[in-house]
Amino acid sequence: MSRGGSFPIDLGLDPEDLVSCVHCGLCLPHCPTYRITQEEIASPRGRLMLMAEVAESGRADPVFIDAIDACVGCRGCEAACPSGVPYGHMLETTRAALVESAGYQPWWRRIGYRILEHPRLLRASSRILALVQRTRLVPSRFALPPIPLRRTRLESSPRGTVWFFTGCVMDAWMGETLAAAKRVVESTGVEVRVSGDAAPCCGALHVHAGLEAEARDLAREVMAALDGDGPVLVPSAGCGAQLKEYGHLLGTSEARAFSARVLDVHEWLVGRDIPLRVGPQPAEPPPRGRPVVAVQDPCHLRHVQHAHQAVRTVLEPFFELAELDDAGLCCGAGGAYSAAHPSEAAEIRELKLAAIDRAGGDLVASANPGCMIHLRAGGAPALHPLELVDRAQRGLL
Amino acid sequence: MAEWTDAENRALTDDLTNALGARQVRTDGLERALYGRDSSTMEAEPSLVVLPRDASEVAAAVRITTGHGRPFVARGSGTGLAGGAVPLDGAVVIATSRMNRLLEVDVTGRLAWVEPGILNLDLSHQVAAHGLHFAPDPSSQQVCSLGGNVANNSGGPHCLAYGVTSAHILAVEVVLPDGSTVMLGGVTAEPSGYDLRGLFVGSEGTLGIATRVAVRLTPNPPTVRTLLLDFDDTDDGAATVSGIIAAGLVPAALEMMDRRAVEVVEAFAHAGYPTDAEAVLLVEVDGLGPGVQEAVDRIAEVARTNSVRTVRVAADEAERQALWRGRKNAFGAVARLEPDYYLHDTVVPRAALTRVLRRVYEIADNHGLKVINVFHAGDGNLHPILSYDSRISGMTEKVHRAGREIVEASLDAGGVLSGEHGIGLEKRDYMGLMFSADDLAEQDRVRSVFDPRRLSNPDKIIPGGSRCADAGWSAGTRAGEGAWV
Ligand SMILES: Cc1cc2nc3c(=O)[nH]c(=O)nc-3n(C[C@H](O)[C@H](O)[C@H](O)COP(=O)(O)OP(=O)(O)OC[C@H]3O[C@@H](n4cnc5c(N)ncnc54)[C@H](O)[C@@H]3O)c2cc1C
Ligand code: SF4
Ligand code: SF4
Repeated sequence: MSRGGSFPIDLGLDPEDLVSCVHCGLCLPHCPTYRITQEEIASPRGRLMLMAEVAESGRADPVFIDAIDACVGCRGCEAACPSGVPYGHMLETTRAALVESAGYQPWWRRIGYRILEHPRLLRASSRILALVQRTRLVPSRFALPPIPLRRTRLESSPRGTVWFFTGCVMDAWMGETLAAAKRVVESTGVEVRVSGDAAPCCGALHVHAGLEAEARDLAREVMAALDGDGPVLVPSAGCGAQLKEYGHLLGTSEARAFSARVLDVHEWLVGRDIPLRVGPQPAEPPPRGRPVVAVQDPCHLRHVQHAHQAVRTVLEPFFELAELDDAGLCCGAGGAYSAAHPSEAAEIRELKLAAIDRAGGDLVASANPGCMIHLRAGGAPALHPLELVDRAQRGLL
Repeated sequence: MAEWTDAENRALTDDLTNALGARQVRTDGLERALYGRDSSTMEAEPSLVVLPRDASEVAAAVRITTGHGRPFVARGSGTGLAGGAVPLDGAVVIATSRMNRLLEVDVTGRLAWVEPGILNLDLSHQVAAHGLHFAPDPSSQQVCSLGGNVANNSGGPHCLAYGVTSAHILAVEVVLPDGSTVMLGGVTAEPSGYDLRGLFVGSEGTLGIATRVAVRLTPNPPTVRTLLLDFDDTDDGAATVSGIIAAGLVPAALEMMDRRAVEVVEAFAHAGYPTDAEAVLLVEVDGLGPGVQEAVDRIAEVARTNSVRTVRVAADEAERQALWRGRKNAFGAVARLEPDYYLHDTVVPRAALTRVLRRVYEIADNHGLKVINVFHAGDGNLHPILSYDSRISGMTEKVHRAGREIVEASLDAGGVLSGEHGIGLEKRDYMGLMFSADDLAEQDRVRSVFDPRRLSNPDKIIPGGSRCADAGWSAGTRAGEGAWV
């Protein structure tokens, strides 16, 4: 039995959670890392068994670290699990324990996360990324805008009744997407306050990496910036999931009250009057008729927020929708996962691209900026749902 | 662990690694432990895990392994409920999970060649564009492998009308324990000679490893209707089942759940199951439009004469899917009650259904245990699930006593031991309740023709002569070794 390099550790997991897995395997096909490796050690069932083993023996080793590190954190397993195993929280707790006991974060990733807290630095580095993205964009039937090289400034209305959360990655990389999403919100007749640099980062990537202390600091900063009691609309599924988790993360009644104000922007739009046409329309209607949009559900929208139906409700008046047959399998973007595990992320993306192919469709809607960039880098014509709606409203699609 | 020395283990590892490459052979202790159990409560530790990429690697792995006198166990997705894939005697686990390709589809002949690791539902998705599917649909169909289905001759809700796995397997390519490859059955007409394909289906990995399978594909029915019937009294539900069959109707599926099952299922699926009903029937009819509507009306009629509370017909595909998602996740959802479950898989004559069911509740009550009933009512296949916490001392033994009484009650009523989950390790020692020593010896002789040295999944199905000390309940250290024998 190779136990080289093992070290003592207290995972701090709830024993009730550890026994809640009955080993039925129903989560396996919903796990992207199992799908690309077909190995138990890369499956949720395997990771849970390892957690139980390490919790019992009180010792972990590099095999364990690798297995935990290779998890995307998509929580597809949690949504599929009939026994209600709280995998997401167990993963976060395990990663936090590894950070404590094993200095688990590779240094270069830590630096990456620090950048996220300083928006200006990020903008500089994201410009490099945008250049890379440009060169790899594959032409599609519907021309897509390249990821912009310059940031679009969003006007904030001090009298606004709703907060619009811009976050870090999304703000830096995808100003045009944010502007389009904000226009759609405004088209329903509300004024919008933009969070901007006052709330620099939601902290999701920190939690996924096991940096809980940093995440808690960021949470306090965000809560202080987004004052009042109006709803907080989030156009990024990953950020939205994290803002909704503040109650759990900080454990205070104030944080719980804040989380209760958070809505994915599509959730907020459901039931509101979204005008079909906005502003001056082009003289010639677009030549192709009603486009078919394949809907890709970001994990943090579907498995964590359970708000993926809202995207369909918002898109339906504008487009024909096509469903993927992969039950919401992760696309491989996974926050920082695609940066840390690029080849695995690309392999997982191939599965998603195949599902998109089977579904057919002219365009792909993806309500999370990370997924959208990742899919586009693989050649899929992906846009944020509200960017699609914005264009349809203007008669451009 | 069996009596293999470190030197023997090293020699075997080296030979396998040389033949297959290091990525295909796993030796790490933690990793091996992950292949020591399936979805049952049994576990043991394999001496090695091999992850072959194709049939030739399976053949090489088997030849080398048995050349070292070492047993092997085929493993698909590890969802078996009878411990079939648990590696006894320090066996090498040969997992087919990477062999998951759809090799060939013959749309007009309605058949496909697949590798054994392909997942049941993936196969149906991949042929959906041709309007076809693979009919056997175990509740685990999203994850179980075709090879596992073949080995266990698995059933599913829709097997009531379409038949279990065996009816959908045309040919199987098998690597025998000596590493040679044979083709059993064939895709052309009725193959002559003994039906060895039929012998292999259901052999639970004891005759060799399936490396390619020719499966029959079934056209998707043009119309499907799903009904949810709920009752204040379990007897009324059972009477409705008998009534439907007596009326000459053959629904595609006819499933029953009792009150506790409905509660756990609804907590997961949110499909609108009535949690205050004593029994719920899920009935599906398919075929051509008008005939389907007529069947729906007649089933509703039968239900009404048996005091049904409500008849709900799924309005659309989404509602239908939600209902099935509930039923198909029932076993897993049971863990919401207690951390462990132990289930049986007996089949009883439909006429005895109500009587046996009542006996099952009685037995559970006598032992102070929780029992949940989810079953394929159409063919009398019971799945009484005992839900318990193995950390409480004496609990595992109690569950096993109750389990044995349930089996005896089913057999007394003229039933059989296993409907679809197989015998494997967990049910092996009940075989004596059904078969005489002579019967068992005869079965063992058949096996010897394929596997004279008993190296293919040793000590499964047939009791006796086995070294089972190295297998224990997964809570084995707590329950005490051999507590289950
Ligand atoms: C939640 C749940 C629901 C289930 N519902 C049903 C149901 O409705 N109906 C039903 O019948 N079963 C059901 N099962 C049991 C199980 O899913 C089936 O028995 C399934 O066919 C096992 O497939 P597997 O790939 O997981 O096989 P494994 O568990 O890996 O192996 C099962 C047996 O097959 C052998 N085997 C595997 N692959 C091969 C091969 N290529 N060649 C030779 N032998 C092989 C193994 O040695 C072992 O003996 C359920 C299980 C779970 C966990
Ligand atoms: S979170 Fe995603 S990658 Fe991790 S085990 Fe679950 S399904 Fe697999
Ligand atoms: S995590 Fe849930 S779905 Fe996966 S094996 Fe455990 S109980 Fe089953």
